[in-house]
Amino acid sequence: MLRAMFLKEWLKLRWALLGLLLVHVAMLAYLFLSVRHQFQVEHSEMIWYWSFELRRLLYDQVMLLPALTGAVTAVAQFGPEMVGGRFRLSLHLPVRGDLLVWSWVAVGAGVGAVLAVLDAAGLYGIIALFFPREAAASAVLTALPWLLGGWVAYFGTTLVLLEPAMRQRVVYLMLGLAFLGLLYLQRGYQEYDRILPALAALSLLFVPAVILPAHRYRHRS
Amino acid sequence: MTARIARWSLLLLTVFLLAVWLPRAKDLLFEYRFGKTDLFYSPVLERFVYKELLGEGHQFVYRDQDGQDYGREAFEALIPFIYYKNMELWGKLPLELAGQRFDKAAIQGERLVLQLDPDELPDHRPRIQLFPLLEANPGRARLRFPEDIMRPGERLGFIGSDANRLDPELTRSFSEAMTEAGFRFPVRTTFGRVSILKPFDAGYFLVDDDGRLFHLKRVDSEPVVTPVPLPEGLVVRHVKVTENKRGEFLGLLLARDGRLFLLGQEDYALTPLPLPDYDPDRMALKILFNPLNRTAIYSDRTDVFAVAMDRDFRPIDRYQREMAMARPRLVDRTWDALLPFSLTLQDPNSRYLALDLRLHGPSALVGLLLALLPAYWLLRRRGLHGLAPIPSLLFVAVTGFYGLIALLLFPPERNLQPQRATHRTAGAPPLGSVVDGGH
Repeated sequence: MLRAMFLKEWLKLRWALLGLLLVHVAMLAYLFLSVRHQFQVEHSEMIWYWSFELRRLLYDQVMLLPALTGAVTAVAQFGPEMVGGRFRLSLHLPVRGDLLVWSWVAVGAGVGAVLAVLDAAGLYGIIALFFPREAAASAVLTALPWLLGGWVAYFGTTLVLLEPAMRQRVVYLMLGLAFLGLLYLQRGYQEYDRILPALAALSLLFVPAVILPAHRYRHRS
Repeated sequence: MTARIARWSLLLLTVFLLAVWLPRAKDLLFEYRFGKTDLFYSPVLERFVYKELLGEGHQFVYRDQDGQDYGREAFEALIPFIYYKNMELWGKLPLELAGQRFDKAAIQGERLVLQLDPDELPDHRPRIQLFPLLEANPGRARLRFPEDIMRPGERLGFIGSDANRLDPELTRSFSEAMTEAGFRFPVRTTFGRVSILKPFDAGYFLVDDDGRLFHLKRVDSEPVVTPVPLPEGLVVRHVKVTENKRGEFLGLLLARDGRLFLLGQEDYALTPLPLPDYDPDRMALKILFNPLNRTAIYSDRTDVFAVAMDRDFRPIDRYQREMAMARPRLVDRTWDALLPFSLTLQDPNSRYLALDLRLHGPSALVGLLLALLPAYWLLRRRGLHGLAPIPSLLFVAVTGFYGLIALLLFPPERNLQPQRATHRTAGAPPLGSVVDGGH
């Protein structure tokens, strides 16, 4: 049963995943070109000064990429389920409904995690080409809240899609956006270093939360 | 059961987000530009004077510590060393004070402002540990950034910015110079002012593995390392380097125990500053120099303190007052009564974000009680009787209107008869028990 479920998720996700992979590679390529361009038109020591002392983030083009990835992954997974009441059919499979939903989100979150690792490795590699390793490590630490944004966007979109009532959809949308808004308050590098564990722990509340709209769908639609 | 956990997760998440965003919305709506009180020591009155915004618009008062009000021009004439350009414009230069005459050049020669804000402290801001070591003797009119950057660590590494590679020769020569001066690697901390917009470059102060302080400069491309003598038992927390033309002090040295010193430019002599109640972690400090006095002014978000000193930093007067900006307005009192707590992410004393919980105190009981009444009504309307509403009511009793809003957004399911519920779910495996149904 589990294998069948994973196969189904793969079939739903494969084209979206391919598209996301292309977008991520394209964004990383763009990041590489834009940083390289900076170093071609400005003196390297000045760029280092802007980056270390003035705290300019040369890599903030990728800030919203994880959130976009999370939202697209959720749409790819749960959008088709919401068409024609297919989700109701899935809930009639001989497996507990909550475990079914969690296995789906495990697949989606896993896909997001793979892309997040790709982003982090790409960011480290690109920054390390032009800056000392301390700056590359700092870039990854600075990007961690944006990667967490991918997790929040994924679960926020999942909540919106699984929810049968329009009013509650709006509530879930606001909830997801309110959490996302907390992850982009930086004015420089590594400002989330001390708060990120708490925000990550709070974002774990989304994992049990996805059961409620599924429960409402099952019992009300 | 899982559906019940899901609902409670959403309730907690909603309360957290409301406790962060509603206070931010309140600030967006009601925050006003009160700012901190400008406090000075008047060499004319030999009393403290201040300028403060009391209300909306331009309700400034210019007052001395005894409550005497002044017009703006009269106030500025009480602190003529601050407003010496106005004094010149108004034909009041040279000044005659304390039996001495001060012309523009004499005032300019003595003026200096040293500042230390909490968010400058090394543990209050992230900093990539790479520092450009400027040439202190550039042989030209202005300073320029070097094409390498210093990496303090197990040795003093230098990385060329063009190739992004370690420069082995510079690394060896600077590391050896440090070791020869008695420095014990690794470098614990590095302090300096990274800028080319300063009159000269004083290099960096580095703390070695034994806690000793060294001064490093690059002069004619060569390392110049000087040990800085420290009093017995002094542990350096921060050195604020402020290169200035006055030439007497290079900056401030903060000890781990909270003592603050002026750092002599030529001999590294430490001059202790008598600053009672000064807390570097939450107070912004300014030291104003003029030809007659030195005044230390430091403040948190509530009180402003000042110590006037003579030229030898002996205290001659002290003053403290609660700033107008700290007095709660009606909107603040109402807010604190309606909501039990606020969560803030941004700390004005740090560049790190932090989750800071501020409890609103006993007045919040009003809001808690007001929130409980509609919560009870809502739960009754959802068919919860007996002990069933207790968890939700306790939740609202702790979280007040935040909890009430969360409860309205995620209400418990209506209390259905078990048979009816079973009938509705027949034919599919359970997704979780009925959410907070109670019976």
